Amino acid sequence: MDLASILYLGVTFGLFAIFAAIVFRTYRRKNKDRNESAKYSMLDDDE
Amino acid sequence: MDKPSYNTDIVRSFINWSIVWGLVAVLVGVIVSFQMIAPDLQLPPWLTFGRLRPLHTNAGIYGWGVGTIFAMFLYIVQRLCKTPLWSPGLAKFQLWFFNATIIAAAVTLLLGYTTSKEYHELEWPIDIMVVILWVSFAINIIMTIIKRKEEQMYISLWYMMAAIIGVAILYLVNSAAVPASLFKSYSAYAGTNDANVHWWFAHNAVAMALTAPPLAMFYYFLPKSTGVPIYSHRLSIIAFWSLIFMYLWTGAHHLLWTPVPDWIQTLAMAFSVMLIAPSWGSVINGYLSMNGQWHQMRENYLVKFLILGITFYGLQTLQGPMQSIRTFSAFIHYTDWVPGHIHMGTLGWVSLIGFAGIYYLVPRVYGKELYSVPLANLHFWLVLIGQLIFSVSLWIAGVLQAGMWNAMNDDGSLTYTFMETMVEMYPYWSARAFGGVIYLVGVLVFIYNLVMTVKKGSDPSPALVEAEGRA
Repeated sequence: MDLASILYLGVTFGLFAIFAAIVFRTYRRKNKDRNESAKYSMLDDDE
Repeated sequence: MDKPSYNTDIVRSFINWSIVWGLVAVLVGVIVSFQMIAPDLQLPPWLTFGRLRPLHTNAGIYGWGVGTIFAMFLYIVQRLCKTPLWSPGLAKFQLWFFNATIIAAAVTLLLGYTTSKEYHELEWPIDIMVVILWVSFAINIIMTIIKRKEEQMYISLWYMMAAIIGVAILYLVNSAAVPASLFKSYSAYAGTNDANVHWWFAHNAVAMALTAPPLAMFYYFLPKSTGVPIYSHRLSIIAFWSLIFMYLWTGAHHLLWTPVPDWIQTLAMAFSVMLIAPSWGSVINGYLSMNGQWHQMRENYLVKFLILGITFYGLQTLQGPMQSIRTFSAFIHYTDWVPGHIHMGTLGWVSLIGFAGIYYLVPRVYGKELYSVPLANLHFWLVLIGQLIFSVSLWIAGVLQAGMWNAMNDDGSLTYTFMETMVEMYPYWSARAFGGVIYLVGVLVFIYNLVMTVKKGSDPSPALVEAEGRA
């Protein structure tokens, strides 16, 4: 495996790790209310 | 807290101009569809199929699509951030520069100046205009988001930022060219690299201009229209990030069975299939948001546009990955199936969401009640039927075309000549033109309804304004 392939693989795994962290943070129980609160503010009067 | 004073003038102007360019796009589309069945309709040199076709796509994507994005983003960003637009002056400049750019694009395309790159035909001086236009738009939106009064960022803002950053990167990279004269340039890339960069741009332009912005609008207008929140904000966030991570790898599925390296094709194919998950994350979120509210499909014309729009998005994002699989692509690529697919996305998904957004905004930015809900319903059925006739006839034509191209005699020779396959297409091309005419009539009904709203619409009471979307 040459250096380019290792870098390519590293970037791929790095992106996957970032995505996994986003999923973990978003679905963490203690963040639930905070992450869902935005949808309720959509019912406020905009004007 | 004092209510901020939102800028609505600029939203009105962008709505009006996006509709003008949308009408041009559909009208030219209908003309070229008739040129396919009646080649004598070509009026050389300016009004031939070769020049009108890019005018149709550019007016549709950049005039109607991007014009609507400008209108919606400038409206939505102020409400979601609970703060006025950062610079109304910059937005006004953006409006006039937008129209100048579209006119310059239309004139040069009709004069035959083109890079010959599909969906990126504009020559380098107009490329520079597009960049100035987009940067002015991006600065205004991003600065408004930075100075927002609302801490939580609703999902629409994420999609808006992705669109702004994504389009900028894609357009800049694919625009790299060496000018040879005022209206002639050569791509900075060569051979398969050029093709690969170009389809990376073209397919991700679909992502960043024709997927992320309509999703931003959908997530904003659905709860506003139904009066209930979306099913899950967390699901929308995961769908957003997975879409962002996956989309950028898929462009090379336009280059299957070409000299582009095999591993790039396989990568694009795999990511295209994986893309079903985030796409359907949004579709399912939309459907589940309708739990207990499905009666609104009958009662609320806005919901009809929004839910049929997200349904076409779902169908589009199943059909697209299917087409990206090598074996299926080998059969269907280069046939009329493909324009059938594209128009389900543009006429079905993007335009239905755009229509819904405009119907929602016009009564609010003009302070009038919609002139006629029955006309809005008529518009809905006309564009739906027109689009279905258009797409279904081309899917059938595509399968027939592919079958005839692949048919072989026992001795290995082709069963049909290319001309024989062309002749077989005429009934389907006629059906496509007929579908286009129905769609055009639907758009005219839409415009008439809006014009009458502005001219004769009654002043709504506050309660009516609130209920209007659910009428």
